[in-house]
Amino acid sequence: MCLALPRRGVSPQILGAILAATAGGLALVALGAMNPTQLPNVYFYVFSSVALGGALRVITHPRPVYAALYFVLTVIATAGLFLILSAEFMAFALIIVYAGAILITYLFVIMLATQAPQEGEIEVLTEYDTSAREPIAATVVGFLLLAVLSTMMFTGVATLKAPTAEKRDGMTDSLLADTPRKIERAMRSAGTLEPGEHVKIDTASGTAQIDFAARTVAVTGTDGEGQTRLAALPTNLSLSNAERLGFSLLRDHPGAIEIAGVILLMAMLGAVVLSRKQVQIDEDAKLLQSRSLAASLAKSNIDNRTNSGGGIAS
Amino acid sequence: MSLLINSVFLGQAGFPAEFSAPALSHYILVSALMFIIGLIGFITRRNLIVMFLCTELMFQAAGIAMVAFGRYHLDLTGQTFVVFVLTVAAAEASMALALIVLLFRRKESLNAEEWQDMKG
Repeated sequence: MCLALPRRGVSPQILGAILAATAGGLALVALGAMNPTQLPNVYFYVFSSVALGGALRVITHPRPVYAALYFVLTVIATAGLFLILSAEFMAFALIIVYAGAILITYLFVIMLATQAPQEGEIEVLTEYDTSAREPIAATVVGFLLLAVLSTMMFTGVATLKAPTAEKRDGMTDSLLADTPRKIERAMRSAGTLEPGEHVKIDTASGTAQIDFAARTVAVTGTDGEGQTRLAALPTNLSLSNAERLGFSLLRDHPGAIEIAGVILLMAMLGAVVLSRKQVQIDEDAKLLQSRSLAASLAKSNIDNRTNSGGGIAS
Repeated sequence: MSLLINSVFLGQAGFPAEFSAPALSHYILVSALMFIIGLIGFITRRNLIVMFLCTELMFQAAGIAMVAFGRYHLDLTGQTFVVFVLTVAAAEASMALALIVLLFRRKESLNAEEWQDMKG
């Protein structure tokens, strides 16, 4: 279906943008038309069109600074998509880490690594920013990959197994037992807990004792004394996305977190070592630099002479 | 805030019930399109910094796919993986940008084709 979408690289910009926009829109609409009853949220269309448009602009804008800013737009729209997918924590982490930290670093480097225009000169775009390399071939390759990806997608998604109804309704949310204090707070605000009563915590495992079938939880008097009774679990009690993600990260993948820490440390060390290194400037570049330096020196010499009648000590 | 999000995006607390396979394929299509855009950008652009921006685009696309699949299966491993992708992206960005600054100091240019003689 979307095997033959027109999509242009960098060259004829406006035409390419219109083509790409219609192609992407058509693909989404066609996908929706195949299953008109099960459309995603309307916000999905807003966010995904903004994200894809921003992405397109990232690769077509001749100025790197603007490309980076369009990337920020894409990141924010992606965060919106994550929100629809009920991944709130990742949405905000994405904005903070990507748009807030990584992209600012990119902007810094772009500012560092572009020649400032001389005074009185208008800024010209460098040749390597304005012309694309192999746009046609790249587009063809992109198409082929898109064809493969979408074919795989349409054959694969249809065979996916749906999650079980139990999991879907959160009836056996085992993580809930790990958060006795949350249950206690919810019960207190609901008023189902007598003053002085607590949710009973199993001393060995530190979990609350929940009977999911009956929707009850064991509560007890102060410090484990007094009668243990079963109280009804508050309805609509569920863990937030951040809590679930925390459990998933620290309980299921503790080793991965350690490795991530090591990776970050290594990256930091590597960046420091790399940027401390004194570079040997290339011969051509050195020649160019010295020539421009000499020219500016001579110019300032002349200026000084004409101004004060004397040379400068250099 | 979470109440607002729940009411606007989810309709109810916790996971909303319906996330069907067709809805999933929408997200996968967006992810695939964004990945391809990043790939085309990586091939066509000649500015080193923009090339790395395009790799970040591809990271984003992979993240969308992972979160969407995790949502479909009601499994958090997808989101957990995105946390690590974010880590790797940050590490990669710092190293790549340090390298770019180094290369720029050497040739006073960000053109990737200046370094063609490095191929071997």
